[in-house]
Formats: sequence, structure tokens, C-alpha cells
Amino acid sequence: MKSFLPLLARNRLALGGLIVMGLVVLLALATPLLPLADPDVTNTAIRFKAPFSDGALLGTDHLGRDLASRLLWGTRLSLAVGFAAAVIAATLGAAIGIAAGFYGGRTDNIIMRGVDMLMAFPYILLALAIVAALGPGLMNALIAVAAVNIPFFARNIRGITVGIAHKEFVDAARLSGMTNARIILTEVLPNVLPVIVIAMSTTVGWMILETAGLSFLGLGSQPPQADLGSMLGEARAALISNPHTSVVPGAMILIIVMAINLLGDGGRDALDPRLKSGALSRPMPATRVQRSGPVPAAGGETLLALRGLKTQFHVKDRIYKAVGGVDLQVNSGECLGIIGESGSGKSVTALSVMGLVASPPGVITGGAVHYKGEDLIGAPYEKLRALRGNRIAYIFQDPLATLHPLYTVGDQLIEAVRAHHPFGKTEARAHAIDLLKSVRIPNAEQRVTSYPHELSGGMRQRIGIAMALANDPEVIIADEPTTALDVTVQAQILSLLDDLRRERGLAIIFITHDFGVVSQLCDRVAVMFAVPDCRRGAGRNHPDGTRPSLYRAADGLRSRTWAGAARTGGDPGSAAGGRQSAPGMRLCGPLP
Amino acid sequence: MAGYILKRLISAVPVLFGISIIVFVIMAMIPGDPATAILGSYATPENVEKLNRDLGLDKPMVQRYFIWLGNMLQGEFGRSFSLNRDVLDEVLDRFGATLILAGTAFVLCALLGIAAGVVSAARQYGLADKAITFAVLLGISIPSFFLGMMMILIFAVKLRWFPVSGMWPIYGARDLPALASHLTLPALALAVVATGVIARLSRSAMLEVLRQDFIRTARAKGVHERAVIWRHALRAAMVSIIPVLGVQAGFVLSGAVYIEIVFQWPGVGRMLVDAILKRDILLVQGGVVFVAACYVLFNIVVDVAQSMLDPRIKT
Repeated sequence: MKSFLPLLARNRLALGGLIVMGLVVLLALATPLLPLADPDVTNTAIRFKAPFSDGALLGTDHLGRDLASRLLWGTRLSLAVGFAAAVIAATLGAAIGIAAGFYGGRTDNIIMRGVDMLMAFPYILLALAIVAALGPGLMNALIAVAAVNIPFFARNIRGITVGIAHKEFVDAARLSGMTNARIILTEVLPNVLPVIVIAMSTTVGWMILETAGLSFLGLGSQPPQADLGSMLGEARAALISNPHTSVVPGAMILIIVMAINLLGDGGRDALDPRLKSGALSRPMPATRVQRSGPVPAAGGETLLALRGLKTQFHVKDRIYKAVGGVDLQVNSGECLGIIGESGSGKSVTALSVMGLVASPPGVITGGAVHYKGEDLIGAPYEKLRALRGNRIAYIFQDPLATLHPLYTVGDQLIEAVRAHHPFGKTEARAHAIDLLKSVRIPNAEQRVTSYPHELSGGMRQRIGIAMALANDPEVIIADEPTTALDVTVQAQILSLLDDLRRERGLAIIFITHDFGVVSQLCDRVAVMFAVPDCRRGAGRNHPDGTRPSLYRAADGLRSRTWAGAARTGGDPGSAAGGRQSAPGMRLCGPLP
Repeated sequence: MAGYILKRLISAVPVLFGISIIVFVIMAMIPGDPATAILGSYATPENVEKLNRDLGLDKPMVQRYFIWLGNMLQGEFGRSFSLNRDVLDEVLDRFGATLILAGTAFVLCALLGIAAGVVSAARQYGLADKAITFAVLLGISIPSFFLGMMMILIFAVKLRWFPVSGMWPIYGARDLPALASHLTLPALALAVVATGVIARLSRSAMLEVLRQDFIRTARAKGVHERAVIWRHALRAAMVSIIPVLGVQAGFVLSGAVYIEIVFQWPGVGRMLVDAILKRDILLVQGGVVFVAACYVLFNIVVDVAQSMLDPRIKT
């Protein structure tokens, strides 16, 4: 809460809403003290005076009443009625919700059924039925609006209460012999109150709008008393001849509701931690590139070579260095293993190749990715897209999350093919079945129409592999493709990948933290470390001593710590010099 | 699928039952004694008692409810005294006009709202996003009846693009172009608020989905960004957008009452307000029960649409 007000203040729109609302409330409170004409004195001799004329700042209405005065008195009434309706609805709704949530069982069931019934009505039908029964009038409109909104509060508050009713302190109160009524008042209510207040403040604008609406229909405040809604309703007859009588109260309603909405949005944003951390941004089609320093030149005829690749995450004013200068290369028919502890930047390295690091917050800040001698970092989107899945394909971990849940696997395979080849639907379908067969999926013809959730984990992983193979790529980057699978399935998948590599001359980059997997499949292995401290130029933790975040591409299995880990069957991370490995990324201070 | 629809239809029965109870209870709240109201305040107690017996008002509440419900189920909603017409006939006549207005507005707000939300999410923090966010804020803050009046002033009176009010021209053919020109302004005015709400929700649903792993998979496949947004992300986001469409349909139906008044549209909403002002209780009751029942049935359609869209829902 302490940081709430500054946050709200930083949100300029919300602050604007707060100021406007404050002014309106102040004006409404001060109305009786202001030197205003009597709002109800009619004088048809001066009816429909234009705004800014003598003696009437906003003009006069169809009975010659001073509009400015009526506007302020009407605002006062509308605010009061809207606020009262919100308080009544919140109080009754909260009482019902607390009762249902606290007592649970049959009480809860019956109450919530009733609430569901009420919510099955379009709200205005219920309000109209109530007003019809009680008769038109401001009090009755208020009752109708409050009643219509009770279910909303009851449902919200019940949810919160259910959570609280099973907390230890409530059990303790029960054991100490307190009555239910006392527990509700002293233990439950204080905890629910903030929620009630927040829900109320977000609905006040809505209540003002609804009561104004009923008054507009002639079912709320009755003449001569006028709230903003009935002012607008009365002015409607003269809409075409004297629009200002309509615009004045209408604009006021708009201003009030908008100010409350701005304030509500600002408050909600300020309270949402995800917004603060930037976790609500959507990733762009390709990772942002912001390279400083010289771009390494392409060397030799390697198929895919990473040179000094640096990828960072920029979150607000902090920079997390995920990859700090990686050199790798892989050739046709070769399998390169990348191994390393969690958070050493393996996946980010792999995703950087095709610009698939989520951005924001990801930024590629240096280095190059040479595919057949051509630098892909900063390549135009269309070029990256043409290569993605076509020449360089990915296999991801956890195919339940990485396959689209609402399309059949066949559709997803067909799409992978048609993204790069102008195949007809039937042609692509036949190809999809072939692909499923090539990853040894039984009953491929039937499986084409399955949804991912209908398949087993191993089966889904095969689908992921089939998708990567769809366009006969030259490089496959497999990011922990077997981690989620049991050992038998894992072995099957690995031998499948190995066969495919031999058959098709694929280059595979295989990321894992499982050393056994690497030794089974890979020709060479690169090791990546997470380095807890990454002060520039001070690579303390690696024998090489030059780079903070490290990898070492080795012929055979050269890295001692990892080899040791493999021998003892321990966790390589803990074997790496006995350091505490930093989970996730490393914090490196504010931007220079 | 047929089984699922049947199941949903059966589950709607208790809801319809509940709605009828609520309406009955509200109508029982009406102060005063109907017999006295009919006979006047000078009626003898014997006459009042006799009329009460004739009307069945001496029976217990529960029995009266079932008689009332039975009549309604047979389509006997009573007779409107202000129109001297069968209530159901009148409601059915008016409901067609409301359906045209609210249906058009609903289609408009669903299409515009979802499109605006998708564009806004795809261009997050860009110019389009900011413009849409501002328009949405304005849209959800403006009372629809005020917006309708301003639209009449600008587009009907000043610019003369559309007729001021009504559903049909007073003279001339009652054909589709005539209906379309009369429908444009009220349907737009009615759609604005719901468009704002749907746009807002679609934007956040899309942002939620765009961070999912399967979006990255689509991109890794080389699927064009346009297809990533509209085919992959939107399809997944629809799962959370559709239920909101159902809720917003209720708000569109509610807003139709105001719009029908502002634009003199001959729908159920205007009928209800007139009936309330004339204290024609039977007409109000019939209109409320009928429209509420239709809304419940519409929500079944929404549920079925949802199950067709999401294969993970067991049908």
C-alpha cells in the first residue's frame, strides 16, 4: 500500500481522473454554499437561454430554470444516489457472500443458486421489474439498482470468504469457543473489508450510470427534483431545437464516469505486480537487436556458427545478462551437445539463433550468428521467417505447452509445411502422414486428426520432432526435448534423432543438462556455466578467466567438472567448483 | 454434440424455474390489494372477498405460483389493459424489432471489439494501441442514451445522413435499405459500450496468449506473423473471449431499452418502460419473463459455441 500512491501518481491518466473526481465531489459538496439561482424556480419568459448569456452561465432549460444551478444540484443528487446504491449493494452483497462462504455446505449451495438465478437476468429486466412493482421514483430506482448489483458482490465476497474460513486463525477462534457471529465480525470481516471497498469503488461509476439511466427513462427522480439522468430525459424533447440543454447534463455524466474509470484503471494497474515487472508485454515477432561494438566476421564454410553472441534481458532499468559472448559451431551431420546447469543461458543461446527470445524483455546486444557465412542477427523479419522451420528448425521441451491446444496435430504439421511450400491441402496432408510415420507414430492416418491433449507425452514429443522435420531442415536445435519424458521413451526419442541425423545428414544442436544423453548422442559438447557475479572483465569462476559467462566447445568430453559430474552421477552444477549456482539470470546493475 | 446440447437444455430448466420464482416474488411485492384496486375503495368487504375467491387470490402463495406458472407455460400471459391486447402477442411483435436492433449491435460489437483488441495487443504500446485504448475508455464511459442523442444531432440533424428515429419510413417501402438506414445509428450507439468492454478483454486475453509457448512454436515454424496473431493467438484467446460475449449480450439487451427510447425503436424495451409508466403490470411481467427466458437460451448457444471451439471441453 505504501508504494500504491506514488505508483498511482506516476500514472498520469489516473491522477487526472483523481483530480477531476475530486473537483466534482468538492463542487457537489459546496453546492448549497455557492451563490446559485434556485434550481426549481421556473420562468418561462427566459426559457432556452444560450450558454454564457447574462445571469445564466450555462443557459436555461425548457422552463427557464438556471442550468448551471440545476447541473450542480443534479450532480450532487446523482453522486449521492450512486454512492448510496453502491454502499447498499456492497453491504447486503457482502453479508450474503460472507454467510455463504463462512457456513458453506447447504447454506452456500442454496444462496449461490439464488445468486446464479439473479445473474441469469439481463440486469435491466430485473431493475425494471422491481421499479414496476414498487412504482417509479428515485428511492425505488435506488433500491432497484442496488438489488441488481447485490449478486455481483455476493459472488466476489463469497470467494474471498471461502479462502479465509479455512485459515488457521479462524480455526483457532473456533477452538477458543467464539460464536460464529463473533468470528465473522472480528476475524473474517476485517480481512474481507479491503476487497469490499475496492469492489465498491470500481462499481460506483457503474451505479451512477445505472441510476441516471433509470431517471432518464422517467422511472427515477420525479419532477421538480432532478438528477443528471432526468435532466437529460427532460431535455430530450428539445434535443434538436436546443441541444445545449442535453449536452450539459450528458457531458457531466460522461466526465464523472470517465474520471472514475480512469481512477479505477490506474488503481488496478498500480496493484498489479505483473504490470510493474513488464510480464504483461507480448513478445515481438523477432528478438530486438541492439548491437554495440564490432560484428564478428564470418569465418570459413561452417553451416552454423555463433560468434561472441550476447543476449540480455532488459526489465525496467535493470539488465540481466543471460548469454555473455558465446562461440559455437556445427556442421552437417554433426551433433553438438550444449550442456550446463539451469540458468546458464543454454535455451536463450539457442533461441537467439532465429530471434525467438521473447522480446521484450530480450535484447541481442552483440555478436553474430552466421548461417552459411551470412549474419542472421538483425536480418529483416521476412528473411528470418523464411529460414525458421525451413532451414533451421526447433524442437522444444514440454510439447503439451508448445503445441497449439486447439488445432489437430495434422493441422499443425500441415501448417508447418505450407508456411514454406505452396502445397495443396491434400498433398500437405499426405506429407504430414509421412512425417508422422517417419517419427514412428503408429496409426499415423488416424493420429493426424488427434488433438495434442489426446496423445501421450512421448507421442507429443514425436509430433514436435515431426514438425521440426517438416521441411527437411539443415539444422535442428533441440532444447531439452527429452527432459519431461520417462527413461524408456527418452531412449526411443534419442535413437530416433540419431537415426534421422544419419539418414538425412542433419546438424543437431542438442541442449540438455543430462550428461548421459550427451554421451549417447553427441560428437562434441559445449559447456555453459551460470556465473553469479558478472562484473565486467572479472571472470573469476572459470579457469579460462577471460569471460564471465562461459562456454567451452570441446572436442570429446574435455571439461573436467562436467566429466567428474558424469562419473559420480552427481549434479554438474554443484560439481562446478562447489559454487552455489545462481538460479535464473544474473543481476548486473542499472544500464550504463 | 447433440447430447451436449440436450444436457445444456435440461440444465437450463432450473434456471428458468428460478427466473419465474423471482419474477413472481417481485410481482407479489406490489403494494395494495388487487381486488380493492379493481372494485375501488368503496367496495364492501363481501364483494372484495368474492372477487378474491374468483381471482384465486384466497389460495396459498405456493398454489398461486403454480397456477401462474401453468398459465405462462400454456402461453397465457394475460391481457394488457393499456393496449387491450393479449400480452404474448404484443411481446412477440415487439421482440422482433428488439432482436433486429440488439442482434445487429451484438454482431457489430463482437467483430469490432475483437478486432480492436487484437490490433491493440499486437501493437502493444504503439500508436494504434494508444488510440484504441483511449477510444475504449471513452466508449465505456459514455452513457449510451447520451451518445444516441448526440449521434442524432450530428448524423441525422446536421449531416442528414440517416433518419432521426423510428424503424421504418412513415411513407415509402418497408424494404431492407430503408431498415438499414434506420438501423445504423441506433445499432452503433448500442454497440459502443460493449465494443469497449470486449476490446479491453480481447486485448488482455491476446496478451496472455501471445506469451504462451505454442506461439513461439508457431513462429519457430516460420508461420507468418499475421497468421500467428489471427490464427494461432486469436483462436486460443477466443476461449476466454466467448464467455464474455455471452455476458455482453445481456448488456446489449439491457442497453437496448435506452436506445429504443432515444430512437423511438418499437421494441420490447420501449414497451416495458411505457407499461411501467402506465402501471400495466401484466405487460411488464410478460415482457420480463419472455426476454429473460430468451437470454437463458442464448447463453446455451454461447456454451455450445464454446464447446465447438475448444475440443478439450468434454461434450
